[in-house]
Amino acid sequence: MEAKAAGISFRDACAQASARIAAMPAKQKIVTCPLCGEQFLGFGDLTAHYLAEHPDSAAPVELRMTVNGRACQLIIEPQQTLKEVLQYNLGLTGAKQMCDRGQCGSCTVILDGKPTLSCNTLAADCDGKAVETVEGIAVNPKWQPLIDAYCKWDAMQCGYCTPGFLVAAKALLDRNPTPTEADIKEALSGNICICGTYPRHSQAILEAVTYMVKGGAENA
Amino acid sequence: MRPFNHLNAASLEEASAALKQPGSLAMAGGGDLLGALKDDIFETYPKLVVNLKTIPGLDGVEVKDGFLCLGALCMLGDLSRNETVQSLAPAVAEAAAKCASPALRENTTLGGNLCQLPRCWYFRKLGNHFDCARKGGGKCFAFNGDNRYHSVFGPAVFNGCDGAKKACLAVNQAELAPVLLALEAQIVTTARTIPIGEFFDCGVLRSTVLEPGEIVTEVRIPLPEKGTKMTYRRFSFRKSIDFPVVNLALVQKPGGEWRIALGGVAPTPRRAEAAETLLAGKALTPELAEAAGKAAVQGAKPTEANAYKLQLVKTLVKRALLSL
Repeated sequence: MEAKAAGISFRDACAQASARIAAMPAKQKIVTCPLCGEQFLGFGDLTAHYLAEHPDSAAPVELRMTVNGRACQLIIEPQQTLKEVLQYNLGLTGAKQMCDRGQCGSCTVILDGKPTLSCNTLAADCDGKAVETVEGIAVNPKWQPLIDAYCKWDAMQCGYCTPGFLVAAKALLDRNPTPTEADIKEALSGNICICGTYPRHSQAILEAVTYMVKGGAENA
Repeated sequence: MRPFNHLNAASLEEASAALKQPGSLAMAGGGDLLGALKDDIFETYPKLVVNLKTIPGLDGVEVKDGFLCLGALCMLGDLSRNETVQSLAPAVAEAAAKCASPALRENTTLGGNLCQLPRCWYFRKLGNHFDCARKGGGKCFAFNGDNRYHSVFGPAVFNGCDGAKKACLAVNQAELAPVLLALEAQIVTTARTIPIGEFFDCGVLRSTVLEPGEIVTEVRIPLPEKGTKMTYRRFSFRKSIDFPVVNLALVQKPGGEWRIALGGVAPTPRRAEAAETLLAGKALTPELAEAAGKAAVQGAKPTEANAYKLQLVKTLVKRALLSL
């Protein structure tokens, strides 16, 4: 495969992603009040405690999401963005926070099939939704050719924006499995790379498309 | 962001009741509001943020009673791909497709785009650094400051918190406002139906005439007659993830009547009526297009830093006319 030809392996990183997903807490069993440290057995008790003891504070929110195919039940603060919940509550550090204003695309995740900026989405709005992050793409063998093509074409320098680009590319390929170069440029137009790796992204994605659609015949 | 309470509204009534409480703010896509809360630009931080996206039935596109009805919760990405919109009002789809970036378009609503607060850099300065007129303060800092992106048609004048008249130079940069204005759309809210020409208004912490607790539910566009031509043009410094410095929509009705609407040049989206009159019933020639461009900026009062916008408007109007 391409990655071998380039002498680079992303297998270790993919194994890390797999470990991260496995380590995601599925459900918080004991609920701790973040203000006074008192422990409760359920979210209902915590809400009642907030109403009685901390009426002036913002009450926590219960959040049920499917993250990378796994159901999660969390208790979060209402002002937390999806990006913060993925990082701090679930330990998924793939989506990167750069501008924190929805202007750079580094925090892109797939929310119910649509590319979404996780820094600009309140986690409390995502109740009942399905989230897919770059970790979920890394562990899915279907998308290995895309990651291999990114390695082969070295479509990164510092690498901070790469997860965002990869997720945007995956969202494009979900919708359009055989994009043209113009489609790719349009789909990635919301992602900013300060190192200037832009041409490599279209090269890598076009090659991954050839591999995925034609079964790798041209690259064997 | 600092803590606030969060409510997933189940119905318009619930959202409306919650929004009537002081200190509550409505949020749809959040593209505008979350940035403002992160920058902490408001004098009083909200106690409650009401999520409108959970209200069912507000994201449809349908043709009904001679109107093309777009739900306020339609995401701009869905609008740009919707076949009904593309065939009946292509300029709306075009404008929706050019807004922000692909990921933002998937999560930015039509209602939110119309109701966004101004993007003046004094208004949006981190930590409420400038207590400007639009936030209930004393003055507009753009008059003596850097006003290269501000209004070329003079300030908006409104009553401040202290009852005195205030002026604000910030422009309305809503991507879809000019095209809806040119198509003479109506905005349906929980309380009334407002012609879009009267919908935009400047005041303390608001850019529309909406009262507290009033929510936009639908945008109705009168079905364009057969043979109507329309186009949308924008200029921004970057091709993606940027607000338009100037955007405009042209509609040519089959009777030879024109509608030209400009955005990004005045505190509210503005019809270029002088240009409309000039073009009415005439055959389009390059000279007439040039004259229409000049007429579109008639009465402009640019500040020292933004006269370049007049050239942008003239050229965009001319090019748009000649492309029809």
